[in-house]
Amino acid sequence: MPNIPAIEAAGLRKRFGRTTALDGLDLRVDRGTVAGFLGPNGSGKSTTIRILLGLLRSDGGSATLLGGDPWNDAVELHRRIAYVPGDVNLWPNLTGGQAIDILSRLRGGVDNAKRDELLARFELDPTKKARSYSKGNRQKVALVAGLASNAELLVLDEPTSGLDPLMEEVFTDCIREVKAQGRSVLLSSHIFAEVEKLCDTVTIIREGQTVEAGRLEELRHLHRTTISVLLDRDASVLASVPGVNELVADGPKATFTVGEAELGAVLAAISTYSPRQLVSSPPSLEDLFLRHYGGVPTGPVAAAAQTAGMR
Amino acid sequence: MTRYWLCVRFILRRNWLRLLIWAAVLAVMIPVVYNSQQQAFPTQAARNSYAQVANTPAVAAMTGLPYAAGSLGGILVIKIWMTLALALAFASIFLVTRNGRADEEAGRTELLRASALGRHAYSMANYSVAGGLSVVVGLLISLLCLAEKLPAAGSWVMGASIAGTGLAFLAVAAICGQLSSTSRGANSLGVAVLAVFYFIRAAADLQADGSNVTALSWFSPIGWAQNMRSFGQDTWWPLLPLLALTVLGCALALRIETRRDLGMGLLAERRGPGRASAFLTEPVGLVLRLQRGSLVGWLVGAVVAGLFFGGVAQAMSTVLEPSNAFAKAFVGSAPNILDGVLGIFVLFTAMLSGAFAVQSLAGARAEEAGGRLEPQLAGALSRSTWLWAHVLVAAVGSAVILLLGGYLTGASSSGAATGPQLAGAAFAYWPAVLLMMGVQLFLQGFLPRLSTGITWAVYGASMLVAMFGGLFSLSEQVIRSTPFGAVPRLPAEDFTPLPLVVLTAIAVVLAALGMRRFGTRDVMPE
Repeated sequence: MPNIPAIEAAGLRKRFGRTTALDGLDLRVDRGTVAGFLGPNGSGKSTTIRILLGLLRSDGGSATLLGGDPWNDAVELHRRIAYVPGDVNLWPNLTGGQAIDILSRLRGGVDNAKRDELLARFELDPTKKARSYSKGNRQKVALVAGLASNAELLVLDEPTSGLDPLMEEVFTDCIREVKAQGRSVLLSSHIFAEVEKLCDTVTIIREGQTVEAGRLEELRHLHRTTISVLLDRDASVLASVPGVNELVADGPKATFTVGEAELGAVLAAISTYSPRQLVSSPPSLEDLFLRHYGGVPTGPVAAAAQTAGMR
Repeated sequence: MTRYWLCVRFILRRNWLRLLIWAAVLAVMIPVVYNSQQQAFPTQAARNSYAQVANTPAVAAMTGLPYAAGSLGGILVIKIWMTLALALAFASIFLVTRNGRADEEAGRTELLRASALGRHAYSMANYSVAGGLSVVVGLLISLLCLAEKLPAAGSWVMGASIAGTGLAFLAVAAICGQLSSTSRGANSLGVAVLAVFYFIRAAADLQADGSNVTALSWFSPIGWAQNMRSFGQDTWWPLLPLLALTVLGCALALRIETRRDLGMGLLAERRGPGRASAFLTEPVGLVLRLQRGSLVGWLVGAVVAGLFFGGVAQAMSTVLEPSNAFAKAFVGSAPNILDGVLGIFVLFTAMLSGAFAVQSLAGARAEEAGGRLEPQLAGALSRSTWLWAHVLVAAVGSAVILLLGGYLTGASSSGAATGPQLAGAAFAYWPAVLLMMGVQLFLQGFLPRLSTGITWAVYGASMLVAMFGGLFSLSEQVIRSTPFGAVPRLPAEDFTPLPLVVLTAIAVVLAALGMRRFGTRDVMPE
């Protein structure tokens, strides 16, 4: 059993009329891990999840969910998974509590103690009609229904959209508990901090294709460390040091990036310029992400990335 | 009241088509109904004989006490006054809620009120536009009555009494919009008040002694408007309390608006159970719960219609002259008029049942379009189980409506037919209703986004041909080849099983193809 991944998709394809939503997407989630699933709006995250849930039929490629076929074995597989959509649509004239019970019992059953505990933690009033819920409260309904289950695999599609920071914290705790119990999670998200905190592996997709996938530490190794220094002289001298990239010099201050292999040589070179301060930061998930999307990050890294574009 | 006129223009801009359609549909009823009644009762002798039998309890309860059934104006009032007055009252309620509480609930009012806008400018503009609709519809009705050469005094009172009803319920809706914090609540409350006043006047009209109403009639604004008696005594003064109610009601609503917070209502939103019952977590249970309100509505409709049809069957068949071409085309080639009339009533019951089935099954597509199907299918629920739950509710519900409506028509027909007889006659239409469901299931499989619209169009066309095909001089063959026309029109015609077998077979094939396709296609939210 542990050898069968929770999710394995290879070369997944899906077209809607003339638009291609998925164009050979690969995704793997190992048992007992929390997998981050990143990509901008419209890159195919929700389409992938819908195919994995048997709601859409793929046009090509292969996908297995807990070792089964997502389309043909949908009903059986769904007893073992829990799904939280990012855009929760509820029956307006039923209460949140009724919706939680309906969705939970469709999966098999409700753990009443857990349900009540989650209602308290998320501070959700289950006697209100869904019509009067805000976006965040509708999200909580789906979260309570999904987290109250003992499903082997949780499929979460931007589960914290609309939640306030306090509730995001409650969510983070819940996922850590799920992970501690050895269960698996696929977490599609926009929030880098959330993914960095929770996820063991990350898959970044773009226009329906996987552009980066692996363990977060490994991905960091593949990318350059950002270094900020304060020297006793004009920092533009660093331009001549081999291995220094994306240099932005401003008087004695400078920010640049260095590959893992050149780090030692670069640090040795810097030490000859009597550095007063040195800050080294590993690439953040945001950097990894923006590298693939050509977006503009904020802060010193932003300036570095912009100069990178000039090289 | 700063920027009142800007608000008026804004509301007109957002509602002009809706206003136009309400006004046109209501006004055009006058010439249409008047001309049909002129054909049904062409001579004074025919009208006099109608006047003898017009005052049945069913007519008094439904459309009001007949007081001048011997004149064309009086007949027009019996046939259309109550419909127009109620329709205008509904229009006022929906319009005031749509532009008032619904906008506030959606947060649009907040956006407007944050700008340099008087506190009451928007509400006043809303009431003015809705009131304008009532006045315009009243005027159109009066003018169209005059155009039909009806007596001038009666024509003006007719328009004024209907407009007065619309205005009175505009005030009711204005207050409801302040009390409830949701548009749904405001509409429900307004319609409930309308229903209560309707039943008060119905009770008053049933207790009437001859053509004199009891005092109870004065406890309902609809009663006030009725007591203006267009084409009868033509009394103007009951218009005063109607207008007073309008002004005082709107003033009260504005006063509440001053005192409450934006987005709040005086009545708290009702809470519900925090847990779902075992019944609700079954697929069929959920469908029944979601359609509870509409199910109750359709069943009450079937009961009221059945009792009404039974109550007027005898009277109608004595009034209709066998030589009347209009009657003949409508009633068909029945050997006797009474069976023909009963046949039409059974077809009406089939119409109710068919509309229920289409509406109920459209609920399945609405769940899919609204994004509520996906989380259900993400649970351990198969697509076929889910769809069958909807099919079951629509199929069984439509059968119950047919049997109930048919049975009550027969049972209340004072001997024209028996309950079981007409229950059977109505049930013969079940295969035609199933065919409508088959069409819908087929479309939900292959053309989900268009399915509801096309099915209603197919239903409407089938109903029109079955009901009025004769009037449009369509050939017997054409009428027989449409779903509701194919069913033998019992009790006027003899029973033949073949059409029912054919209809059922087509229904089953369409449904099977559609459900098969639904099982293999993508789930498509809107």
